[in-house]
Amino acid sequence: MKAIEDFTLIGKTVLRREDSYLMRGKAQFLDDLPEPKGLIHIAFVLSPYARADILSVDASAAKALPGVIDVLTGKDLAGDIKTFAPVIEIDGYHDVRRPVVAIDRVNFVGEYVAVILAESPYAAQDALDLVDIDYDPLPSVAGIKAALSPDAPVLHDHLGDNLIFRTAFETEDFDARFAEGDVVLEEEFQLGRVTGVMIEPRGCMAWPDPIATNMTLWTPTQIPHIVRTAIADHLDIPESVLRVVTPAVGGGFGTKAHVYPDELIVVALARRYGRAVKWVQDRREDLLTNAHAREHILKLRVAVANDGEIRAAHLDVRTNCGAYPNHPYSPTLEATAAVRMMPGPYRIRNYKYDVCSVTTNTAPTGAYRGTGQPSAFLAIEGMMDRIGRRLGLDPADVRRRNVIQPEEFPYVNVVGVRYDTGSYSQSLERGLEMVGYDAFRAAQPKDRLVDGKYRGIGICNYTEVSGTGAPGWRVRGFAKMPGFDSSRVVVEPDGKITVYVSQADAGQGHYTTFAQIAADRLGVSWEDVMVVEGDTAKTPYGTGTFASRGSVVGGGTVIRCSDKVGVKIRRIAGYMLNADPERLVLKDGRVIDPEDADRSLSLREVAETAYSMNNLGLPQGEEHGLEATDYYDPPMVTMANGTHVVQVAVDPEDGRVEIERYAVVHDCGRVINPKIVEGQVHGATVQGIGEALMEEIVYDDEGQHLNANLLDYLIPTAMDVPNLELSHIETPSIDTVGGIKGAAEGGLTGAVPAIANAVSDALSGLGVNITRVPLRPAYVFEQIRQARAERESSEQ
Amino acid sequence: MSAKKVTVRMKVNGKDYVREVEPRYLMADFLRHELQLTGTHIGCEHGVCGACTVLINGKTGRSCLQFAAALDGAEITTVEGIAGDGPLHPVQEAFHDAHALQCGYCTPGFLMTTIEFLKTNPEPDRDEIQQALTNNMCRCTGYVNIIDAVEDAAKRLREGAREA
Repeated sequence: MKAIEDFTLIGKTVLRREDSYLMRGKAQFLDDLPEPKGLIHIAFVLSPYARADILSVDASAAKALPGVIDVLTGKDLAGDIKTFAPVIEIDGYHDVRRPVVAIDRVNFVGEYVAVILAESPYAAQDALDLVDIDYDPLPSVAGIKAALSPDAPVLHDHLGDNLIFRTAFETEDFDARFAEGDVVLEEEFQLGRVTGVMIEPRGCMAWPDPIATNMTLWTPTQIPHIVRTAIADHLDIPESVLRVVTPAVGGGFGTKAHVYPDELIVVALARRYGRAVKWVQDRREDLLTNAHAREHILKLRVAVANDGEIRAAHLDVRTNCGAYPNHPYSPTLEATAAVRMMPGPYRIRNYKYDVCSVTTNTAPTGAYRGTGQPSAFLAIEGMMDRIGRRLGLDPADVRRRNVIQPEEFPYVNVVGVRYDTGSYSQSLERGLEMVGYDAFRAAQPKDRLVDGKYRGIGICNYTEVSGTGAPGWRVRGFAKMPGFDSSRVVVEPDGKITVYVSQADAGQGHYTTFAQIAADRLGVSWEDVMVVEGDTAKTPYGTGTFASRGSVVGGGTVIRCSDKVGVKIRRIAGYMLNADPERLVLKDGRVIDPEDADRSLSLREVAETAYSMNNLGLPQGEEHGLEATDYYDPPMVTMANGTHVVQVAVDPEDGRVEIERYAVVHDCGRVINPKIVEGQVHGATVQGIGEALMEEIVYDDEGQHLNANLLDYLIPTAMDVPNLELSHIETPSIDTVGGIKGAAEGGLTGAVPAIANAVSDALSGLGVNITRVPLRPAYVFEQIRQARAERESSEQ
Repeated sequence: MSAKKVTVRMKVNGKDYVREVEPRYLMADFLRHELQLTGTHIGCEHGVCGACTVLINGKTGRSCLQFAAALDGAEITTVEGIAGDGPLHPVQEAFHDAHALQCGYCTPGFLMTTIEFLKTNPEPDRDEIQQALTNNMCRCTGYVNIIDAVEDAAKRLREGAREA
């Protein structure tokens, strides 16, 4: 079997086969699919209140509208769909279930209150305004601190308060170790509430097949198998009658890695009416109801030695669950990620954390690119700078003092996560070098004011969790999260190859990269390999594409599965050539005997034997067919890493932050396709710029969502993108198949803290203390104004 | 609420169409559901994201903000009209080579914007490209490779023009 170093295609940029049909307008996204006859279009009546009792629903006027088929309430659907909840098995978590359409009570703005069924989307929209609902508004609670106050309204009576999840951890003799530090620093950091904003909003279509009594759900999800299991559980139908298929998916970013109420509803309605049912979300619904993320408050307290070494750290994290736990993660996802990732690339051996999540009258929160890590690193990297300022050390030196050195790998961190390999120190040094850090610091004036702007530099040295396997999900309580992914590699009778993968592409380029991998292992051209995924009827079961697992787990299973098929190819070819299979080589679409160059077979000739399409027959004991199936459960997690170093200028006249230099060093282990990795780094970094400088979903104190449109919820445009200088380090994993690590989230994880630290550095001369993101101009301007006013008053 | 239908005549990608639609029927829906030209995508329905951008009488417009009836008589180019099934347009080639698309949902809008932009400004600098692209939102690529692709496309088009 060839070693991975001998690969001819892995590590090479192959231009994507997806591009042609996407650029010609031929891709079939959900709303582009041909519509079945008799299709019912649905629309949801959304709650305008954050918390209210539903006194009555009068749908008579809506039902009377031509084109309207029916209007259903939560009560009407309760018999078809069980109350919806994730399965979380961890101490400190309290089960909260929700009706998929509200019954009696609404708990956030945007919650579904009624479903319109109509013959056209226009008729459904017309009917929305005609449903007369009598609400009795109730006192509500929106933010974390408000939810924890003793007189806060309690959302879910059975909890007794608003705490849905609470857990804690501490290492032995933590208090004694903490007391050994020379100085103690404490800071509270906050992150705004954000969301994925895929350019394609969500939607779904259920399509009953009357002949097979089957049901197909088309949904642009990142987790088709998990969606199928959840629907079967909540509708009480066999998984075998339900097929979940993803069409082309217009971006996911974690937001599409949830199971949503509407996915259950369209299937239930298609069963009830025996007709296809389709729903397409608009942007307002996306921003009101799709999973939000972050809104974290992190209090970090560290005990530090005078030389900058962190002796002990205590992290207290509070997160906002929203009104109900999302499926399948619940609020434990970001909360446990933040506390487990905080030690990052640093040698922190004494650690304590406390976590809690509260329910509030806001949209449910869940997965979004970075998951907990931007928060964790905003805290620890922000603290590194504060340690430097307090002790008079260069913040880069504080990091150097604490970072895990090359000779310490493999390293098991304080919460039991194994870092098999990494380039934490090399990456830091390279990032600093790329922006000319030392020269910048040497020239930087104490007040940071250069040419009328405050100029500063910020660092984030981070680890990036990827490819989480079963143990990684179990330890955080995710009972219905398998961890493994799978593939089936088939050499067809004509010698061409089909690879079925349990994952679901949302733009990552799997149809190209998985073809590269299989082609490389089997010695064929990648164009001869077709990739099929996003279809529960065609692929074996698996976890899906999120949390930077596509390359690690998907790539890993394709390598393993291709190798299994390779063994059989060589075995049959050995029989045909009368040669030892062990010495046969797969190359250029042929099976070659290196000891006798004339003796070779095309893959097609071998396949014809395997499929009994010639007169040779198979050797004794050999099965027909030429395929294999593989289930790959990777290690608990695989750590990629990287460093962002950012130089900014803050304009005191308007509070705008301009990024002047931006260096990214990135190490995701073995690279499959460099251009695709580069694209992931660019995309994640720019999303991080958005989270750091502009993005925030704003609720008022009553839980009213104030910016559910793209004019008020700002995401980066082409004008916001700095010149990103990228540098790659390739440190293959020794634990994963192929040495692959994930690449999709580090850009975001690095950007948020690095930018916040750069602004913080720029304004440190003024005495401004930056502890939160987003750093929108109005906020930054106000901090500068206050600091200057205080300075002036103290000088008088 | 449905009003009497009106007749709309339009030339789309060089082909003449006559359809009866409600006066409030959106141009994006007209293209996608009446003409089955689903390459034009809807991302926000309030004119911000640019996924629905098409060429209306040669100029970019948001098809989610206009009524089909109001465009009676117009000449429209959608993404399907750029290259059809033939060889890729130089702008498409440049996007492919630069890895300027990931999920590809926003890409049709970017292609239309770029084609119009490079006609008006065949030799743009990067600042001008970035400004021109603010009409369109992409959430996957971080724009970096799109900006590169537009720069490259301009070069290809200039060279093509010289050869022709």
